[in-house]
Amino acid sequence: MRFGIFGLVLAILGLSACSDGTPGGAGASDGKMLVVFSSRHYDSDYALYDAFEEATGVEVRTIEADGDLLVERLKADGERSPADVIVTVDAGRLWRAEQEQLFAPLSSEKLDAAVPAGMRHPDGLWYGLAKRARVLVYAPDRVDEAKLTGYESLADPAFKGKVCARSSGNIYNISLLAALIDRWGEEKAQDWASNVAGNFARDPLGGDTDQIKAVAAGECDIALVNHYYFARLMNDEKDNNIVEDLAVYWPNADAGVHVNLSGAGVAKNAPNPELARQFIEFAMTEQPQRFFAELTNEYPVVPSVEYKNAALEKLGDFKEDPIALSKLGENQAEAQKLFDRAGWP
Amino acid sequence: MGQYIDRIWRGISPTPIGVFAALICTLPVVALIPLGLSGGGTHMAHLFDTQLSTYVRNSAALLIITVSGTLLLGVPTAWLTSRYSFPGRRLFVVALPLSLAMPSYVSGYAWMSMTAVGGPVHDATAGFVPTISGLFGAGFVFSISFYPYVYLLARQAFENSGTHSFEAARTLGASPSKAFFKVSLPLARPAIMAGTALVAMETLADYGTVDFLGTPTFTVGILRSWISFGDPQAAARLALILLLVTLVIFGGERLARRGTRVAEAGGRNKPQHRVQLSPRAAVIAVLSCTVPVFFGLIAPGLHLLLLALETQPVRSPADAFWGTIMVASLSAGIAAILGLGAAYAARTGGWFANASVRAAHAGYAVPGAVAALGVIALLAASQNLLDTVSGSTAPMIAGGGLVALLFAYQARFAAAAIGPCESALVRITPSMDQAARSLGASPWTVIGRIHFPLAFSGIATAALLVFVEVMKELPATMILRPLDFETLAVSAHHYASDERLSQAALPSLMLVAIGLPIMMTVSWLVSRRQTESAAT
Repeated sequence: MRFGIFGLVLAILGLSACSDGTPGGAGASDGKMLVVFSSRHYDSDYALYDAFEEATGVEVRTIEADGDLLVERLKADGERSPADVIVTVDAGRLWRAEQEQLFAPLSSEKLDAAVPAGMRHPDGLWYGLAKRARVLVYAPDRVDEAKLTGYESLADPAFKGKVCARSSGNIYNISLLAALIDRWGEEKAQDWASNVAGNFARDPLGGDTDQIKAVAAGECDIALVNHYYFARLMNDEKDNNIVEDLAVYWPNADAGVHVNLSGAGVAKNAPNPELARQFIEFAMTEQPQRFFAELTNEYPVVPSVEYKNAALEKLGDFKEDPIALSKLGENQAEAQKLFDRAGWP
Repeated sequence: MGQYIDRIWRGISPTPIGVFAALICTLPVVALIPLGLSGGGTHMAHLFDTQLSTYVRNSAALLIITVSGTLLLGVPTAWLTSRYSFPGRRLFVVALPLSLAMPSYVSGYAWMSMTAVGGPVHDATAGFVPTISGLFGAGFVFSISFYPYVYLLARQAFENSGTHSFEAARTLGASPSKAFFKVSLPLARPAIMAGTALVAMETLADYGTVDFLGTPTFTVGILRSWISFGDPQAAARLALILLLVTLVIFGGERLARRGTRVAEAGGRNKPQHRVQLSPRAAVIAVLSCTVPVFFGLIAPGLHLLLLALETQPVRSPADAFWGTIMVASLSAGIAAILGLGAAYAARTGGWFANASVRAAHAGYAVPGAVAALGVIALLAASQNLLDTVSGSTAPMIAGGGLVALLFAYQARFAAAAIGPCESALVRITPSMDQAARSLGASPWTVIGRIHFPLAFSGIATAALLVFVEVMKELPATMILRPLDFETLAVSAHHYASDERLSQAALPSLMLVAIGLPIMMTVSWLVSRRQTESAAT
């Protein structure tokens, strides 16, 4: 009996080891296969994969993991990497993958025509898929919108003990501060971070949704969050009561609203670079772009795409910070340093 | 004849298994060393100037809170369920370890969302219950998540060794509490310490929960040096420092315990005689056992259940379910063999075997993401070696798939199997071996007929711990899994990290649901073994 159990385990192990050791064991059907390494894991992306499979007959297989782990895995796999397409959620991550030379340049007239110049790498190493904006959420009964003057307002002494934000290790905060360093210079950005940290209603905890809930519950008056968490609550029949009495403020002042990017590029050692190109081109067509807006509440990078999303419509237009997205990567480490010095936990 | 047996004995020496286990567990950590030694030091200087003291303070405070919490929840419940008879005891025996099936980060999300302003607990108690967050919140979540480590190992020790000495002490006039503190507790100390060590390592190496609950510990510092500063070298270096500190703490404890090792003599296989508690005492016992299960499992579980019931799942969790079962059971089986071998090595081997076994714990004390980094680095280095030596065609990671993943699990969790196996072997006295062998039993017979039945509950506990750990593991699973391979923990994490707790609820509940039958089976096997050995 006892040896039976161990024997069984060993047998299974042996079997799985064999089946796995076979070259091409990972899906060796005759059909074509595209491998996507992605740090996104949203419903819109699954819809995109399904649509691509349906349109082309190519099977899409994925590994989804946090961006930094993906980078290390791609580095270690080297020439043997099975990845065709690399997708990340943050421009800083795209920049880092670029520094590690994980992308192969892709030139495509279709893509150049569809994606605005600021939303893609100049040499075609990566192309934006969808955008998210960092906004302020406030309670109109306690905050006068007329007095808000952009991201600077969070540092306003008038908001002492009234600001909520998540921790500084979060990539959205880091990218925002990286953009502000570029906009204001290091000194002013440092002052801003220190003053915001001094205004906190509570130590940073939870995610962006928790900050919105805290404003709704009166724990703070204003919070720094990504727009799509707010939009998701607005579109959710069960949860929209949370945001009923709240409003979004677009920090359009000076350079404009900080926008971050999810992007995709062809992997340098892609076994199927041609399929990878097809996939990225497909992602910029109308239907997948609508998926990003309608399923994940992000803004499509292709400006001409029309979509139906009640919440995004209600949130209205905003002025986008035209910063070169590589700055978000270059200033990333500096941003964390400023946060650490500011005592923003 | 004697020489002949000795030769066989040597022939099946478990030392190689111990060394093998140690190699698997330590190599990925060793791979971190060259990584940690490379790269510049500017980031370290920044860390020293700014947040380091906060990180260290938080880690130390959290460790103290969590260790105290798990001891308070784990030891009394283990003692009560093994020594006394009270209503629901059998149920508690099965239910108490189940909190371990709830990943601590899921428990953290659930508790915070329940107790935050606007959450059900906050509203129901008009804000009387504070929001579970910050240092004490994290300490609370870890205590209710990790106490089963202490409970499982302490209970095993109490079941195995406590009764006789306790009764002897009572006969000699010691009060029940004196007999407990002076006799039973010291006897169980190695097991309790092994459980506490696991608690401490998990606490120090956790990232998700402390980050979410707003208690930046040293591990948050480690991960930030990688994520924010793009400096995996610094992360490796800091992780090694953390590991060193952890090992020093537990090495110190082991040294302090040296020479106090007790193997109780003979006759411990009579069935436990459980003392019937008076009604009043029974109420207290039931309450003491209910509290950890309620906070660790029932309350967060109910919250998740309500969320899951009112949420339409986006994707079917079936594949993730089977994926989880497969990797967890394979890993548990392998780890039980490795753990047992390592425990034998530590028992029979010399200092070398012993040191190897101690070193095997290294994998456990490193934050998961960094441990995954070590596995990747190790596999990449081996690949390079193979390529230069033979122009190999077998890709180590890219095509390694399941094998690479199973290796990573052993590297990280085999250590969890060693503790219980070792405690189980402590039961078996050298005199038993000598008696059996002088009666002509072969070493294999000694192992099969004497050691295995006696040690079975320990081995089962070891396999169970590893099963549950693997079931919950995240970073290595995410990055080393075969294409399209999904586990429940990965699904839960994806949704939770996207702040969709209601979607994360179903996979999280399924983790608990898998833990339930496993726990019941083990509990049944253990009790059957005890009856069997009592009957013979």
